[in-house]
Amino acid sequence: MAHAEPPLRRPPGERARPPVQPGRVLLIAAAMLFLGLFLLLPLLAVFTQALAKGVSAYLAAISDPMAWAAIKLTLWVAAIAVPFNLVFGVAAAWAIAKFEFRGKSTLITLIDLPFAVSPVIAGLMFILLFGAHGWFGGYLREHHIKVVFAVPGIVLATIFVTFPFIARELIPVMQAQGKDDEETALSLGATGWQTFWRVTLPNIRWGLLYGVLLCNARAMGEFGAVSVVSGHIRGLTNTMPLHVEILYNEYNYTAAFAVASLLALLALLTLAGKSFLEWRQPELRRAGSHAQGAGGNARGAGVGNARDRTVREKS
Amino acid sequence: MSIALRGVGKQFGEFAAVGNIDLDVPTGALIALLGPSGCGKTTLLRIIAGLETPDEGQVLFDGRDATSWPIRDRNVGFVFQHYALFRHMSVFENVAFGLKVKPRRERPSAAEITKKVQSLLELVQLGWAGDRFPAQLSGGQRQRVALARALAVGPDVLLLDEPFGALDSQVRHELRRWLRRLHDELHFTSIFVTHDQQEAIEVADTIVVLNRGRIEQFGVPSEVYDLPTSAFVHRFLGQVNELPVRLRDGRAFIGPIDISSSTDVSATAPDSIALVRPHEIEIGAEASGWPAVVAAVRVIGPIVRLELCAEGRPAHEPLEAEISRERFQYVGYSVGQKVGVRFRRWQVYPANGAAA
Repeated sequence: MAHAEPPLRRPPGERARPPVQPGRVLLIAAAMLFLGLFLLLPLLAVFTQALAKGVSAYLAAISDPMAWAAIKLTLWVAAIAVPFNLVFGVAAAWAIAKFEFRGKSTLITLIDLPFAVSPVIAGLMFILLFGAHGWFGGYLREHHIKVVFAVPGIVLATIFVTFPFIARELIPVMQAQGKDDEETALSLGATGWQTFWRVTLPNIRWGLLYGVLLCNARAMGEFGAVSVVSGHIRGLTNTMPLHVEILYNEYNYTAAFAVASLLALLALLTLAGKSFLEWRQPELRRAGSHAQGAGGNARGAGVGNARDRTVREKS
Repeated sequence: MSIALRGVGKQFGEFAAVGNIDLDVPTGALIALLGPSGCGKTTLLRIIAGLETPDEGQVLFDGRDATSWPIRDRNVGFVFQHYALFRHMSVFENVAFGLKVKPRRERPSAAEITKKVQSLLELVQLGWAGDRFPAQLSGGQRQRVALARALAVGPDVLLLDEPFGALDSQVRHELRRWLRRLHDELHFTSIFVTHDQQEAIEVADTIVVLNRGRIEQFGVPSEVYDLPTSAFVHRFLGQVNELPVRLRDGRAFIGPIDISSSTDVSATAPDSIALVRPHEIEIGAEASGWPAVVAAVRVIGPIVRLELCAEGRPAHEPLEAEISRERFQYVGYSVGQKVGVRFRRWQVYPANGAAA
């Protein structure tokens, strides 16, 4: 920032304007057009369709007992799957980032497996394992445990599909941070547990929250794998995405889009949360007077990060 | 606390980081582990800290076998090159960390912690910075916070891994002197790792020169500098000119200079080399020594460095000589001038290393 004038802070929103470049304008316009056409317009369509028959019809569709059951089940599944993957993700990222061990690259590959495999195949895997004719089918039947076509199957499938999100988010963060902080804490007499809670966790909290958000969004929105193992029993094993499909197939468009709009709303909330985190993430903003000065001009996380880096290097 | 290593070795896969190391560090010593990167000096420091477990050998703390003690039981302060300050904590919280994680019975009261932390911050001249965050401090200030934090738990041993490596030379110089003073005041045992020979010579009581995972030489700085036991140590501690030693008719020569009178010719291998430091070169009139031409003159503060193309040596391998500024002003060499080179001191090594 080369200030010729006295270093007054610019009012927020006002920036130094670069000269107009036709190539740049064209690129930005193309990107915006694409976004509008393929992302914004469909989203808008969902809400328009949902509210097509008025607010009362919308509310009625949402408060339908079957819809409610689907909403509750979806929330339950996410409430189980996300904490499970949280613990797994942190443990896996910790192991991969901070230790050298045999089979490490295999573990990294395995974590990516759910991303590589089609969700339908993931669902079928669980049928093969726990279905009536599956490997554990006999045992489960003898003990009257229902996995497939029941809630446990849905939870398992969801956990499988959302497995990589948190670990994938944390591994680069933890690798970049190295082991110095933890080793310092240990040398100062902290136990492993204290080190984790007081040093490691605060260091990864933003990455972790971000991972949880993405994981949660996927857990609630998962269709393919859940569809295979759920059995589509209304009021029992129907999650929101499955419920939307059923309503749609019954030509009940208003209800289908009403429930869909809830899912879309959830996605929007997730995105809002994500951008909030990205805005928060350059933590130096809180700490650094430099960074605070930069904050007025640079809202974008990328720019903020670059600034913080220069501050760090300068000092 | 005294520290002793007995036959310590550590492998990383196929790579032997350190091997068969014996070292005695008496209580209150300030020792530098010096060597090029990859020589195993950091591994050795981490073994002493308990951050690595040696594959063989023993680590003794005050004569007791500490090889398997975890780091938190060793009562060592460890300072990293990149400070490793907890970035989400204020400077005060960073320094207080070691006190706050103590088990409840041993933990001082909040008021005592505040007092202790404040006095440590004063000690490192950062009394004003308690509520700052690490990101707001300069590199030198951060490293002082890291030191205060390490000192807070009252360690018996202070271990520093390239503590000044990431700082610019001015700050580095200041911190070196400051560390030396701190050590003299507080009387703990300190071991620090560095690849900077000047830093080692300036700060340490004893220098341990490491090469390829082994100790090359051990001694007080002036002794290691003046009497290197190998060509490696000679080269590593300061600038050298490398000159082939030629044997002819039972006499030894560097260039045309006969060195037989001060060299054991019979013990000199045919492919030996002589190492001469730049300040050990004497420049005189053309006829007084090895004829040479001044190729470059560079004034560096109090000294003047001359590049000399000696007769019979390739032009791209000039001799480097250093003379004082005063002498330079008195004599006034200029590029192209013909001079004669003599050596005040030199040391002859067989081509493969150890002292002859």
